[in-house]
This record gives sequence, C-alpha cells and structure tokens, in this order.
Amino acid sequence: MGQFGVAYFVLSNLSPKNNKSVFVRSKRKRIAYKNSEGEVEDEDDLMPGTERESLARGMSSQKGREYTIRLALEKKQDQYIDLKGITVYIGSWNVNGQSPGSICLSEWLSRTNEPPDIYAVGFQELDLSKEAFLFNDTPKEAEWRDSVKAGLHPGARYFHVRTIRLVGMMMIVFVREEIKDQLRHIAVEQIGTGLLGRMGNKGGVGVRFELNETSMCFVNLHLAAHVEEFQRRNQDFHQIFNRLGFFINEKVKYIKDHDQIFMFGDLNYRINPATIDATKAKALIEQEKYSIILEQDQLREQMRLGHVFSGFTEGTINYRPTYKYDSNTDNWDSSEKNRAPAWCDRILFRGGNLTQIDYTSQPQYKLSDHKPVSSFFNAKIKVINPTRQRKVYEETLKQMDRIENEYLPQVTVDIPGTNQSSHSNRNEINFGKVKFMEPLRKTFTVANTGQVPVHLEFIKKLNDSHVCKEWLKIEPVHSFIMPGETCEVELLVLVDKCTAAQLNVGRDTLYDILVLHLESGKDIFITVAGDFERSVFGCSIAALVNMSEPLTMISPGKLIELEKGKMPVNHYDIPKELWFLVDRLYRIGMDKDGLFTMAGSQSEVLEIRDWMDTIPNTPIPGNADSIAETMFLLLDCFPEPVIPFSMHLKCLDSAHNYTACKQLVRQLPAAHRNVFLYLTSFLRELLNHSDKNGLDAKILALLFGKIMIRDQNYNAKANARVERTKATFIYQFLVNDDYGDDLWPEMGEDLVSFS
Amino acid sequence: MSGGPYNYSYIFKYIIIGDMGVGKSCLLHQFTEKKFMADCPHTIGVEFGTRIIEVCGQKIKLQIWDTAGQERFRAVTRSYYRGAAGALIIYDITRRSTYNHLSSWLTDARNLTNPNTVIFLIGNKSDLDGQRDVTYEEAKKFADENGLKFVEASAKTGENVEEAFLETAKKIYESIQDGSLDLNAAESGVQKKPTANGARSLSADNAEGRNPSSCSC
Repeated sequence: MGQFGVAYFVLSNLSPKNNKSVFVRSKRKRIAYKNSEGEVEDEDDLMPGTERESLARGMSSQKGREYTIRLALEKKQDQYIDLKGITVYIGSWNVNGQSPGSICLSEWLSRTNEPPDIYAVGFQELDLSKEAFLFNDTPKEAEWRDSVKAGLHPGARYFHVRTIRLVGMMMIVFVREEIKDQLRHIAVEQIGTGLLGRMGNKGGVGVRFELNETSMCFVNLHLAAHVEEFQRRNQDFHQIFNRLGFFINEKVKYIKDHDQIFMFGDLNYRINPATIDATKAKALIEQEKYSIILEQDQLREQMRLGHVFSGFTEGTINYRPTYKYDSNTDNWDSSEKNRAPAWCDRILFRGGNLTQIDYTSQPQYKLSDHKPVSSFFNAKIKVINPTRQRKVYEETLKQMDRIENEYLPQVTVDIPGTNQSSHSNRNEINFGKVKFMEPLRKTFTVANTGQVPVHLEFIKKLNDSHVCKEWLKIEPVHSFIMPGETCEVELLVLVDKCTAAQLNVGRDTLYDILVLHLESGKDIFITVAGDFERSVFGCSIAALVNMSEPLTMISPGKLIELEKGKMPVNHYDIPKELWFLVDRLYRIGMDKDGLFTMAGSQSEVLEIRDWMDTIPNTPIPGNADSIAETMFLLLDCFPEPVIPFSMHLKCLDSAHNYTACKQLVRQLPAAHRNVFLYLTSFLRELLNHSDKNGLDAKILALLFGKIMIRDQNYNAKANARVERTKATFIYQFLVNDDYGDDLWPEMGEDLVSFS
Repeated sequence: MSGGPYNYSYIFKYIIIGDMGVGKSCLLHQFTEKKFMADCPHTIGVEFGTRIIEVCGQKIKLQIWDTAGQERFRAVTRSYYRGAAGALIIYDITRRSTYNHLSSWLTDARNLTNPNTVIFLIGNKSDLDGQRDVTYEEAKKFADENGLKFVEASAKTGENVEEAFLETAKKIYESIQDGSLDLNAAESGVQKKPTANGARSLSADNAEGRNPSSCSC
C-alpha cells in the first residue's frame, strides 16, 4: 500500500489548484516524497514523460497508466465539468456560555429570501463550565443544535450533516435534503491550541466534504484572547491551518487541499489600542466611521503583512463591532476592564467560484457579550456531465492507445544497394558468390526512427541453438540506439572447414533468416543469402578418389551421390588434388627451410584452391609454403579424417606400440590407408632433407598427427596429452626402419602414371 | 487505487496469419488507429500493436502480433503462435488462392496453439464486392465445418473490423468465465493482471511472452 500513497495523494486532488502543483512538481527532477507511512518515494515514478515510454513498452504499472489517464482527464475537465450554482450560509456567534433558552435564531439564520443550500454555523464559548472543559461534556450542545435547527430557513428541508464540538467550540453543518446524496467523504476533525498549546478552550473544529466534484472545508475557530496577543492568534491560526487534517480512506487532507474554504469564528483580533483607544473608538463608531477604525484592526494589519490568513478574503465590514457588550443590552462593556470595542467575530473565505453576497451582524441578539455575524455566499460547484465525461474518457483511452502504439520502438533497416520500397524482397542481403575460406562482409544500418530508445537484439528462432547459421557472424548481436541515432551491423560470411562439407552436398545452403527483435516491439526479418561455389575442400577422401574430373565439372547431384558412396569406382588410389600438392612439394619444397612451419600467402592459397577446383593446363601456382598450407587445409577439411572417427580411440590406444599401429593402418579403408601411407612416406622423404629444411620427426609428427587424427568435435579444446599421443602414432611411421614392406599392398600404377 | 476505472484486468495475445497481401497489417492498423493504410508495405517480420478494449465491463489489453505472410517466412513465423489466445486467419475475398490456403493456415493454428485458442476467420476486402472470387456462403460453410467464427470485413472501410477483434475477445473471456481456459497454463495467451499491488510483475510476464525463442537471453 505504501507504494501507492503518493499517487493517491496527488490523484485524489482534483481541484485546479492541485493540478497546478502536480505539473509544477513534475517539471522538477528527482524529488523524494514521503507518503503517509513515511516511505520515501521517487518523483520520477510520476513523471508523465517516462510513464509514456514505459506504457509503450507494455510494462507500465497500473499506477502509471491510471495516473496518466487521470492527468489527461483533468486537463480536459472543461469539456465535461459543468458549474452549478449553490448558496452557502455561514454563521458565527460567541455565546459566552449562555443557554439559548427560548431564543429564536431565524433573524440570524433565515434572513435570506431563498433558503441556502448549505449551512455552517459555529459557536464559541458554548459552555464555560469546568465540566465542559475537563470532560468535554455539555447539555448545551443539544440545546443550541435544536435552536439552530428551529432557526433554519423554513423554505427548505435540511439534512444534518455533522456536529462537531471541542469544549466550547461547536459547529453544526446542514445541507438541503435534495443535495445530501451528492456529498462524499464527509469528515470532521478538531484541534486544540489552548492551555499548554493543545487544550480545547481555544482551537478549531472542522467539517469537510465533497459536493459533486468540489471539495469544501468549514472551520470554526476560537483564537487566543487579549489585545496584545495578536501574534499568538497568528500562531494559533497556523497551527490549525497546517495541522488540522481530515482522514479519508486512510489518507490525510489538510485545509489547504480544498477547493473552497470557509474559516470563521471568534478570531479575537482587536483594534490597535496605541492609535485608537476605547473612547476614540466608541466615538468613531457612533459616526459609523468604521473604515477609519478598521485601518487599525489587527487582523487587517496582520493580513496586509502576510502573517496570517494568506490567500483568504474578507468582505467589507459595514456593521458595528461585535464585541464587547454588557449582556442583554446594546451597551459597550461597562465593567472595570472597560474593554475597547472590536470586531472579534469574523468570516473569511478562500477558493475559486465563490462570491460573497453579504457580510453582516445581527446586533438584535443580546444574550451574549458578542453579537452574532453571518455571511451569505454564492458558490459554483463542479458537476460532472456523465455523457460528456464518458466521451472524453473514451477519447482519452483512444489517445492513450495511440500513444502506446506511437511509442513502440520503431526502426528502419537500410541495406545498401537494395530497394527499400514496399517490395517483398526488401530486407534481403545477398552476398552473391561465396567461395571457400574467402570472408565476405556486408553492413547495413538500423536507424531508430521512433520516439523511444531501442534495445535491439538478434534472437534465436524456435528450435535453433544459435541466432544464425554457423557460416555467418553478426556484429553486434545486440545494441542500444537512442532516438534519431543509428547503428551499423556487420555480417560476415565465411565458409570454413566446419561448414564446407555441409554446403558442398546441399545439406545446408547459404540462406538464413535473421530475427531482429526490438525489445517490447516488433521483430524484423532479415534474409541473408549467397551462392556457395563448391570446392574440393570439404569433399571426402572417398568422393575425391572417385572423381575423375575437376570438381567444377561435377554436377551438384553427382557430387551428392559420390558423397553418399554410390558408384564407388575408385578412379584413384588417393585424391588427385592431394597428389598434385605433394608432387609440387617434391619438386620445389623439399629443401625449403621450415616447410610446414611457415604460413603461406593467403591469396596464393586461394589461387591454389581455384586451380585445384578446375585443374587447368597450367602449373600449379604458389610457393612451397602456400602449397604446404593448402595441403593442411585440404586434410583438415576432410569430413572424415585420414584416421576415421570410428577408429579414433583405437588409434590413440595403439600409439605407443608400432605393431599395433601398423595393425590399425592395415584396417583402414583402402583410400584412407593409401592417403596415410602416401603422406607418411612423403614425410620420411622430407626428413631425408632435414639438413636443408631443418625439420625433425617430432615436429612433423605433431603437425600431421593433429590433422590426420581428429576428434569428431571440431571445437573440442586441444588436450596436450591427446595431442602427444597423436604425434606418437605418426612418429612411429617416421622413424621405424621396417616401414612400408607390409603396408603398401594396394598402391597401384595409376598414381605413378598420373604425372 | 485498485479497481480504478482505467485499469485493465487481462492481457490477451492475438496473432494474425494468412497469405501475403490479404491485408493483415491493414486490419491491425484499422483496429488500432481507425485508419486505412493505403500502400502498406509487406510485413517483413512481425509487427506489434496494442489496444485496450472493454468486454462485459472488463478492460482488456490486446497485444496483437501481425505476422509476415510470405511463404518463405512461414517456418520463422510459426514460432510466434505459441501462447496466442486468439488467432485471426485472414484471406482475400478477391483472390481464391488465398482462400485455398486456409486449411494449411488452420492446421498451423491448431497445431501450434492451445486447444482453447479462439480462431476467427476473416474474409478481407469486402469493399471490393465486384471483384469477389470467393462467395460468402462457401467461406461460411468452411468456417462452420471447422468450428470457426467468420465474418467478411474491410480494412478499408472498417466494416466488421472492430466486431471481429471484439468478438474474439468476448469468446476468450467466456472461456475464462466458464473455466475452460486455464489462466495458469503457460500457453493460455492470457495474463490476469493482478490488482494494483502486484502490477510490477507485468514486465517480467511480458518479457517471457514476447520472445519467440524458448530461451530469452
């Protein structure tokens, strides 16, 4: 509940004044509020701007949405609020502890032609007895209430709203029967400012309610006495004004929170005795020169100085001072104290749509040492027109929906070289021809064209484990773009050893649909396509030995069949491409220092690739290092390595025993065995030139072990122990003397004749 | 503030599916903006729109997913069906091919949503009666045989658009009321908004519902 304290506090004030305060506050940044439970809340939660964004994201709290709609509705109040005129009658009388007896109050209370809609009648010094003071109990409450009731305007029937009394301060509120159902949130409260600063002999009692959409507050006051105590009176006022809080639905409403406020009672302000003493005052009163005396009125002066009742209005006083008379007479106080006359009894008001019709006193009542005062007001209250409110509400909801949709994240995707019109193939990025090991990059731009920051992210499609295919890389995969800004996304297509085999046989194609997801918004599909140029890289040994022609001459269908192992003719003992590479190294590379340990030229590797795919009538290009690297690449791309996966573990187990190694080699499929023996005999030959090329058996065993004996998982982490075992296996065939005799049974003539 | 007059109590997820060019995005636009979008570009992806409606006195927020209709995206758009409370299948009354493909769309809708998902068939472009290629009676028969709600509508004039979206929500709401739709099931496509105090959990719910991949990162 604490979370909603402030929202409620702000929202339930529908008055224009409070509207204003809401807007003013919302312009400021980060102000902490305390709610009724003392928890500090952050102003930012209430900022309309941020709310709109979060609304759009569908993440809005109800509080936010409620708040925004209420604000919007308030702004449009004019469109559905009508003002209705009513009348308010305020009366106040310090009765000096007297009982009403048989007194008739109608000359005081029903002196208007039309019956008022609301009566708020306040008394002070209702009962001066000790019992009333100590026990707050008095029979006079009922007596005076009955008298007031009897004195109400006879032209209407009245409903008793509330009576509230604190010791001698009492207020009774009536409304006409016809409007009683339009009252809401009626509450009463009292506050003492008397002895010890809190006893009930001075202070205030209040009644508040909402009549239709207007909140009204009535406070009957009795402030500190004595001529010189005007500052104490100011202090009493402030204490009452700031601390008198009405509880409504567990929330507090103070006097200031009301649209229309009436404060009245025995305020006890006097005439400044230094400038006008009692005698002079009485003389001026006889001449009805009230305005001269009123210039020395303490209340007027304190209000001018801004010390009290700020924002309040008091009407013109055109009646004799209401204090102090000898009881039962119209004579000024004749006691020893000989108190100077003063307008102790006053009626002030604050708020819009209030017009004071009259403000007067009824000196004919002689019961007390004070005369009663009264004032009659025209008030305009806000009334909702339900039909129009419904209409405005519907419009507001629609507007909210629209805002919500407008504030959804919006981006445009700009792909260079494509037509971004309404074509159905927009958002398509075509890489054209893609060759093995040739990285291609394309970029496109994502622009935030919406009104909110966008968090974008490429997301996985259902059942996919990655956001894109393996041959594609996206950079960045997610990003954050502010409105009006852009983000460049780079796509990198690279077909390498991991993906070439699948693409060669059509188990995969260069086609992917990327899902670019805008957080809390739409998804955009981006199609990536390309044509892969098949290559010998990624072809299996089994397929290559059955290929009599260059790969580019083989139809895709034929290649698929070859890869499936259909039509095994075994044109060659080993792949001709491997033979070309080895043959070339025989010619130019045997004495090359550091062969197989130096990187080749990337462009030469690609030239050699093209040469091998077409086998033209030209010498194979590239220097020895490039040829050597290409050879590694070719071996690395065999989908099934030279030692097939099925024999991988057995191979590792045999590594330390040459006999077992030879046994394993004899069990290899023919083409694999041929490749193995062809390569190892080539390596032995290479070692014969070690004085020139500086190679030794251990290095070669390590290099070729890694590539001829592979784990099925390309990405498996290299394990040093396993790598050493692989090297040991190869090493056996490089250094043992009895190499070859029992291992070469099927090496045929074809191979030799090919050159 | 709970139960304030401006809150919504439920969120319903809808998907709009059907062949390319039948007017899915225009129907969505007409529903959310009350406007016809001429020259609407093909949707390449999944658009997203919301609107709050009232059904039986309850405020309901519709979250509507408008999918790309192109065949080549079919495999991807299928991931968006999950958790839809309502599915609107659209065809174009002036193009018979779009009608002929309905059974394939319907199969997807049935297979990829839950049994309580309300499926509504809409024959769009009813304003182009002169070019009609599919009769009302024929489509009505198809709808009846397959237990679908059906109207002909026009995203251009707005005819029956509101009705189709609202009618779908009404049916969903009825299944909630009679208990046949289990709100706790992850795939019901309906989120019950907790009153006031629990509203904060919404963002989390949403994030889950929004991401078509089962594992949102």
